[in-house]
Amino acid sequence: MGDALPLLQIRDLNKLFGGLVAVTGLDLDVSEGEILGLIGPNGAGKSTVLNMIGGTILPTRGKIVFNGEDITKLPSYIRAQQGIARVFQQDILFANLTVIENLLVGLHLHLRMGFVGTFLKRYTPVGKEMELASQTLEFTGLAQHFDELAKNLPHGKQRLLGLAIALATQPKLLLLDEPVTGMNAEEMEAILTLVKVVRERRGITSIIVEHNLRAVMSVCDRIAVLNFGGKIAEGSPKEVVGNPAVIEAYLGTEEDAA
Amino acid sequence: MNRKWLTYALGIVAITAFLISLPFVLRSPYWVSILIILGIYTLLVASLRTITLIGVFSLGHVGFMLIGAYSSALLVMRTGLSFWAAFIIAGLVSAAVALLLSYPFLRVKGIYFAILTLLTAETFRLVAWNWKSLTGGNYGLINIPAPNPLTIPGLGIMQFESFNSYYYLTLTVVVLSLFLLYRLEHSKAGFIWRAIREADILTRCVGINIMKFKIINFVVACFFAGVAGALFAHFQRSLSVDYSSTFGTMMSIYLIVYLVVGGPERFAGPILGATVLIIASEFARPLQENQPILLGVITILIVLYMAQGIVGLPNRFQLWYERALKRINRNTTSKTSLGG
Amino acid sequence: MGISAQLVWQAIVNGFALGWIYVLMALGLMLIFSIMNIMQFAHGEVYMVAAYFAYFLSVTLGINLFGAIVICMAVMAGLGVFLERFLFRPVRGRYILAPIAISVGLTLILQSGTMGVFGLFWRSLPTLAAGSLSILGAALPKDRITAVVVSVILVLVLYLFLKRTKYGQAIIASAQDYEGATLQGISRNKMAGMVMAIGCALAAAGGILAGSLFQIIPTMGVLPMIKGLIIIVLGGIGSLLGVVIGGMLLGFVDGLAIVFLGPMWASLIPLIIVIVFILVRPQGLFGHE
Repeated sequence: MGDALPLLQIRDLNKLFGGLVAVTGLDLDVSEGEILGLIGPNGAGKSTVLNMIGGTILPTRGKIVFNGEDITKLPSYIRAQQGIARVFQQDILFANLTVIENLLVGLHLHLRMGFVGTFLKRYTPVGKEMELASQTLEFTGLAQHFDELAKNLPHGKQRLLGLAIALATQPKLLLLDEPVTGMNAEEMEAILTLVKVVRERRGITSIIVEHNLRAVMSVCDRIAVLNFGGKIAEGSPKEVVGNPAVIEAYLGTEEDAA
Repeated sequence: MNRKWLTYALGIVAITAFLISLPFVLRSPYWVSILIILGIYTLLVASLRTITLIGVFSLGHVGFMLIGAYSSALLVMRTGLSFWAAFIIAGLVSAAVALLLSYPFLRVKGIYFAILTLLTAETFRLVAWNWKSLTGGNYGLINIPAPNPLTIPGLGIMQFESFNSYYYLTLTVVVLSLFLLYRLEHSKAGFIWRAIREADILTRCVGINIMKFKIINFVVACFFAGVAGALFAHFQRSLSVDYSSTFGTMMSIYLIVYLVVGGPERFAGPILGATVLIIASEFARPLQENQPILLGVITILIVLYMAQGIVGLPNRFQLWYERALKRINRNTTSKTSLGG
Repeated sequence: MGISAQLVWQAIVNGFALGWIYVLMALGLMLIFSIMNIMQFAHGEVYMVAAYFAYFLSVTLGINLFGAIVICMAVMAGLGVFLERFLFRPVRGRYILAPIAISVGLTLILQSGTMGVFGLFWRSLPTLAAGSLSILGAALPKDRITAVVVSVILVLVLYLFLKRTKYGQAIIASAQDYEGATLQGISRNKMAGMVMAIGCALAAAGGILAGSLFQIIPTMGVLPMIKGLIIIVLGGIGSLLGVVIGGMLLGFVDGLAIVFLGPMWASLIPLIIVIVFILVRPQGLFGHE
């Protein structure tokens, strides 16, 4: 971790919404296999940064390089094909599809079937597809829900499903937007453990956006702190927690920082 | 497993036999012509339903029917092309127009897409109305020839001047088309369409090019609308784009009614909806100008009281039956527990 | 081409008057859509039924036209409340097609019913005002001017209602965010009833004005419905000012286009403009998305 070219390089990233400055002059590097925390008070621009990495928002200025390629202007589906996956804050799922069907959509990327297979054959997922889907479900602890509609799952399991779908795309980089907000301690632990495990087993790099610093401290190798759209601190969790600028940013709002 | 197959096969044979024998059972050219219209509209509404699979509602589907109708008629009349080639090409013309429009159109959703398609269909109609040299303008297009006679091995030469033979033509084309639409819906592509409908952002973020799939959906649906239009043109033998005609504004919206009454959630919905409403309007003919009132009332009643449309009736019946059973069981057990 | 100034003036005034009538339609449609999330496709039929009812009141019963307008607006408002309560409320929250189907069913009933009662021939309402005013050397028909004045007054009243009353403010809040109004203690049902009443009253006024300026036929409601949709898209859903400006623009363009370009292009141009708008700037001139 460290000498090779960073997996993700962000240079001078800026985003303006009309007159509102959401993100300003952000430089950030993420190494392969790293778990980076992107924290800051509400409105600091963290989600916007994530959206720009994922491709659902385009930056006003700046450059994003992923795996050596400039992805700044690429549409989100191509970024996903190159290995960037997302877990959304609002639990965006295929609500009226079953859990296993949700997984199967995520698997499409790696199980493409050509023209005839996609359009003319009756779709009955079997064999390798189902195996992979079931594996991912087991891995995330959702196996017993495979037949339930996604919208009927409890909140915590929905979050896990979002993670499972993201993992199904076999990503190199995982973007998690406030993954532990609104979860109880047990659920929090489950998700964060999974992030660590996929890093160990598959070398998946993760960027976790959170405003709850304490929650992610145990998981992140490094933390970058944003406030008012700009980076105010970066370093190991210990360094960041003791940083006076960070403390001030959090005390300025009523956030729970350390 | 074999039993199920057998029942399916028998069912299909029975329905086919029934459909083939209908003209002879009915013995009335009038009713056969109704069936032909029914077939055409079934195809039209079924292809409209296909578009709903990606989560948008087109209020301008009739516009693509118009393109197909005029394309086919004009190809046959102006270039002497055989109907058999023309009606497919007509579908392709519709599809081509849809393709041209699809990239900008499919980036828009909800009410905007609805209004957009409504106005586009109206634009097609007005263009046809005003382009007198091409379409005959307000006089309409008349004397559209019937399909060329076809030599069918074993059955001899088939003419298409009569209603009966046109019925079989329509039956074949519509059944084939419905089959293709059904297969598409249950293919991987159909699965992805449903995913797009549920959450297009997520579908994009798992690496699927949703624009590609949306475009294919829209283009295919409009192809079949064009084919339906061609069938219509060579059956009616004349076309008109006047205000209150089959290509008018209200017709576009009225197609939605066929869909909703039948039940938009199942594939059979359009078939049932078109059948019920068209047959109902025939039986309501004696009411003459009050006929639409009856249709309006039926529509409102069905939408209010049958949420899933006619297609949902078996479900509702089953639920009602189960609930009734439960009540009966409760009564009997309470009787016995009271020390009977 | 020899188009006299007189003709141009008349076209402008005509178009202007029509534009304002369409604004009345558009405002109703917009309010209903903002609160109930329904595009009320039968709105044109309310417009038409009102015109016929006004005919009944003023020609058959001999009531003064302006009195008839007031009565009619009240009755149509009541109809709106009735429709909301029994036809649209039950399908709220269901998939988007259900309310559309209901509107279409309603259209069939209203159009056919009216045809059945009154027959197909066109009728006319008494004029709003006879004669013409001479402005800048051109003779402008007083009835067109009266129609515009009436429309403007109604729009101003609506504006004041929205800005100054509790209910109006609730409607604005709710249009932008569903929770906003319930916090003020006004239920969604009540608001739905209100916007239907307001919308139908405005459509009624529009129908009567149009019936007096032009003629009354059972199919008179379809075109205003489309024009209303066009205006909403041009002006932007959610902006009263946008609708007014959009309506005036449309009326202007329509009126002049017929004179200079002939009926063909005149009918196509608004459609093309809207299509372009939806594709390029769906939030309209003033809307927010």
